[in-house]
Amino acid sequence: MTDTGLSRRRFILTAIAAYSVVTVPFRWLPGTSAVADTAVKPDLVRLTRLLFPHSGLASDVYADVAETLFDSFVAHPESAQLLDMADTALDAQVDGDWMDVDEDRQVAALKGIENEAFFAAILAALRGAFYNHPKVWAYLHYPGSSKEHGGYKHRGFDDINWLPEVD
Amino acid sequence: MAKQYALDDDSVVVVIGSGAGGGTVANELAQKGIDVVCLEAGSRLTLADVENNPPLMDARMGWHDKRIGAYLWVCKTVGGTTMRWSAVTPRLQEHEFRALTTYGQIDAGTSLIDWPVTLDELAPYYDIAESKMGVSGTHGIPPSEETNNFKVLKVGAKLAGYKQITSARMAINPVARDGRPDCQQISFCNAGCAIGAKWSTLYTEIPKAERTGHFELRANSMAVRINHDKTRKVTGVVYRDQSGELHEQKARAVCVAGNVAETSRILLNSDSALFPQGLANSSGQVGRNYMRHTFGVAIAVMPKPVNMYRGARQTGILFDEQGHDPGRGFAGGYQLQSHGFDPLTTSNLIGGWGRGLTVFTDNYTNLASLFITGEDPPEADNRISLHPTERDDNGLPVPVIEYRNHANTDTMRDHAIAASRRIYESLGATQFWGGDAPVGCHNMGVARMSVDPKDGVTNRWGQAHDVPNLFVSDGSVFSSSGAGNPTLTIVALAIRQADHIAERMSQKML
Repeated sequence: MTDTGLSRRRFILTAIAAYSVVTVPFRWLPGTSAVADTAVKPDLVRLTRLLFPHSGLASDVYADVAETLFDSFVAHPESAQLLDMADTALDAQVDGDWMDVDEDRQVAALKGIENEAFFAAILAALRGAFYNHPKVWAYLHYPGSSKEHGGYKHRGFDDINWLPEVD
Repeated sequence: MAKQYALDDDSVVVVIGSGAGGGTVANELAQKGIDVVCLEAGSRLTLADVENNPPLMDARMGWHDKRIGAYLWVCKTVGGTTMRWSAVTPRLQEHEFRALTTYGQIDAGTSLIDWPVTLDELAPYYDIAESKMGVSGTHGIPPSEETNNFKVLKVGAKLAGYKQITSARMAINPVARDGRPDCQQISFCNAGCAIGAKWSTLYTEIPKAERTGHFELRANSMAVRINHDKTRKVTGVVYRDQSGELHEQKARAVCVAGNVAETSRILLNSDSALFPQGLANSSGQVGRNYMRHTFGVAIAVMPKPVNMYRGARQTGILFDEQGHDPGRGFAGGYQLQSHGFDPLTTSNLIGGWGRGLTVFTDNYTNLASLFITGEDPPEADNRISLHPTERDDNGLPVPVIEYRNHANTDTMRDHAIAASRRIYESLGATQFWGGDAPVGCHNMGVARMSVDPKDGVTNRWGQAHDVPNLFVSDGSVFSSSGAGNPTLTIVALAIRQADHIAERMSQKML
């Protein structure tokens, strides 16, 4: 086996799974018996909307994404704890109930915690759930799988018509 | 007919890995009548298993065993990463084989060497590889059809003054060929090609090898250790089957092609009294000089629809910047390649949250995007090693992947992003994002070929300096990275290596 003196090494984490779904690292926080309160759920809906503000997107999509994520988070004590940490941290940022302040202050509070590990984990999980949601795809006019429609060979893969003529 | 070999049959060549390198070297050997057992850690999918949904397919075929450090975008499935690759297949340039001579040693941190192979020497093998893989625009194969996203890059590049741009050099059939159909522009080839128009060893090299009667694929077989005798020859490979049971397949020779993390791990994990630093590691170079590329992505909001989700994920290359021009302030060159992204990947790349993100995602249908790939100088301390205590679910030491961008890489990326901005703004882009893309899809260097055994792990044939019947057959053998995507070169080297192995066997030297 090779010698491994990790502390001596440059250790650059570039573990951003840009090309793949980011899964929540449920095991990276110390386990506790904390279970997120269902009162946190409305906060999660609001959070989802502020993280991914698409003005024309129906509210029920945000609620659906938040609901799905909430259910998967509370299934594991470690991830449920992430929600509680975010809830507590956001309230601390505004010296009160984060849900009660106006949008500018809510966004400022989010900026105040955006470098926290628990925020990064929640953002990654919400991002995965949100940008893979069929209703979000429909809103973005991304039709999803094309295999069953024979691909785009005869459906506009080369139909762009606004480019200028060049040599 | 697919054969079955006995575990104690020591006449077989054992190939570890079934991707671009392993699948190719295995098939080439089998075609010559040499018996091969190929051990593949992942399972064997069929085309019917391929769904046009990248995140779903990542869960099905991506490599998700525990690793620490930089992310590697590789697969654990029969066919390896050829299942998800974009099939961009440029050749290396002549000067890239002479990296040290051309660039000089950039600074105290870099460990550049020249390749012990020249372009002239590899050219005939590039020809065979291109023909085998069906590379568009070569050997009488038409160019690839131009997608919307490619056309934006092409026209924008011309307006910005660039000239060398082509919708070719893709190992995706533009016309039906070699028993595989023509591309139906399904999109997001990284989910796997549901019709087999894209070259992947799962449905090319592997079944061809099976038809020779000289090849056995063992899927769900995780190689854990290579054994050797007291004469320093390897004698067999220990692997773990699906039920967790360990077996040893005896071997006449072994080819390792597990992509950089697994190739490093199996060599380092095969330490012994004769090889205290790991097998074939008297130089201490195993795992070192890990290179990816100068990676980057540019995404622009165009004034009108592009619909980049339609058609092959990548379609063409801008070559103008791939030469070595020190006047730009960096060594080596880069290519810009059209590249579509699904909504989630777009969001992951841009990162962040709020309106800074949604100004792009809100305009998803108007987005154009490209991928930057360029020369990345080797550094000894960019390395893959084994964690001293952490074990994965197979009981194997967890690979630790340390990688940082060199200053040369950052300067090159900045140049490439500025060029990309000019290209898209020439067509009226209203928003532009350019940045790093730490995707780990091009992996090279951890068992590099070198003239001097002190500088690397393998010789000009990918044969271990320390062990005459041990070969490395994946991108690990690259002496330097070059600018372009590595797979064509991996395949060309694997074909050449198979010729060498067969010749040595016929001379009774293996």
